[in-house]
Amino acid sequence: MEQELINIPMVVDMPYRFAAGCYLARFLTELRDNGKFFGIKCPNCGRVQMPPRIVCAACHVKNGEWVEISHEGTLMGFSIVHLPLTDPTTGQPHKTPYTYGIVRLDGADSFIEHFIEVEPDIAKVWVGMRVRAVLRPREQRTGDLNDIQHFAPIGEA
Amino acid sequence: MKRKVAIIGGGQTYHASRRHDVNQGEMVNEAVRAALDDAQMTMDDVDAVLLGNMEFFEGCHMTDCWLADATGAYGKPGLKITTGGTVGATEVVAGAHHVASGLFDRVLVIGFEKQEEGDSSAILSGVAHPLYGRSLAGAAVGYFAMMGASYMQAYGAREEHSAMVAVKARQNARKNPYAHLKLDITIQDVLASKMLAYPIRLMDMCPTSNGACAMILADEKTAKDRCKKPVWFRAAETAHNEQFELTWRDVTTTKPIFSRVCADKLYKKLGVENPAAFFDVFEIYEPATWAELVWYEDLGLCKRGEGFRLIEEGKTEINGAIPVNPSGGVLSTNAIGATAMLRVWEAALQIRGDAGEHQVPKDVNWALTTAYGGTNWTVMTALSKEWED
Repeated sequence: MEQELINIPMVVDMPYRFAAGCYLARFLTELRDNGKFFGIKCPNCGRVQMPPRIVCAACHVKNGEWVEISHEGTLMGFSIVHLPLTDPTTGQPHKTPYTYGIVRLDGADSFIEHFIEVEPDIAKVWVGMRVRAVLRPREQRTGDLNDIQHFAPIGEA
Repeated sequence: MKRKVAIIGGGQTYHASRRHDVNQGEMVNEAVRAALDDAQMTMDDVDAVLLGNMEFFEGCHMTDCWLADATGAYGKPGLKITTGGTVGATEVVAGAHHVASGLFDRVLVIGFEKQEEGDSSAILSGVAHPLYGRSLAGAAVGYFAMMGASYMQAYGAREEHSAMVAVKARQNARKNPYAHLKLDITIQDVLASKMLAYPIRLMDMCPTSNGACAMILADEKTAKDRCKKPVWFRAAETAHNEQFELTWRDVTTTKPIFSRVCADKLYKKLGVENPAAFFDVFEIYEPATWAELVWYEDLGLCKRGEGFRLIEEGKTEINGAIPVNPSGGVLSTNAIGATAMLRVWEAALQIRGDAGEHQVPKDVNWALTTAYGGTNWTVMTALSKEWED
């Protein structure tokens, strides 16, 4: 006789409270309150890192100078997503297809990852495309990277 | 290293998307028994046990405690290691360090994952920063898609090239009795599979597998006394990327990213100038087809931008000049906690000449393995048949 196999469905629901830390908190409050991006510059190698963080990983030194970063930048990579991935912060699937990519903002050495507001068509999006951050209205901003609504192409795509 | 270290045995379970027939301990025990049988040892011969898997993928923590009976760790020293996708390789390295230091003579290392019991995507999204990018997180597919799009635009590769990698992996897997996706597929099948995130289709991605791998590492005396075909652990390196730095997704970056830094360090240690000629087989961690093409370049098997030529010319096939992943690789089998260890174990099988149908048809004296995990870091190992070369 075949052995009955028992599998029990369970859910883990775990509340937690995340501390952003002083560097990221300053970055997020500047974004929320003033609509500005800030990076932080390594006193040794001069790299401008965004989001700001305590240590330059490459130089093992404490980062120092805060530097304002442009809202404009260059698309360095992209994908058009067809798989309805769940947004872990809402539990809802993203509406597909959508384009997302990595952008290097002028004045920063780091890339930022976000939605790119273009038609999900590979003829309409390319590495090297110039884009600009579109922020949510002040009253909707909460101090999260989602205070950026998306990046939009600059000028004619 | 203070003392020489050898792999004196190993084993794995078969891999599948369903293993409801066993619990985690029963599955891990399959691999442990296979490794002990292979080494002709019993648990009494083992000094210490290291266990690794992905944190919380099975919905429970402290698997080292839960599984102390099935792993054989009961009453022995040991520890749990979790370093993401690299964990299996990290364990091999940690085990080797324990032996090399003289602390233990025989160390059992185990990597496993029973993904069916948990929600891998949900747990992985917890890796992303809650305030800085988590809403976009959810799966690795998007990252590798960007890498693929970047690769195609930079070097003129086409979707057919990634499809060739997908076909090679699954055709090799058909020769490996333990592999998960043993698919008799063609390039057309891959190109007709569902688009997940441009340019990555379903068949460009690794599966969700359940399975385990175990290996026994030993000092030189034990290896020579007890093992007919010891495989020598010659060198290992680990390198990380910076958190929040996504430069690696731009394949044209000139920055010192994890994969290139790690390979450089390993090659310097061994005095390797031409890795494609030095190593006889490669077992690399390719969660997606495009990652394999980028690995070719980051490992220096060809010039930058020419990785897709290697697959086009068939050089990385089992019978090619530079065989890569004769086992079928991660694209065919991905029980994550076991995956990076399987690279090392499969490389050891190739050196022993015990890989069966997927044995590469030449003398294998040196093998190189890579791992891939976390917010991008890698662990590489180099193995050899003889110590004196």
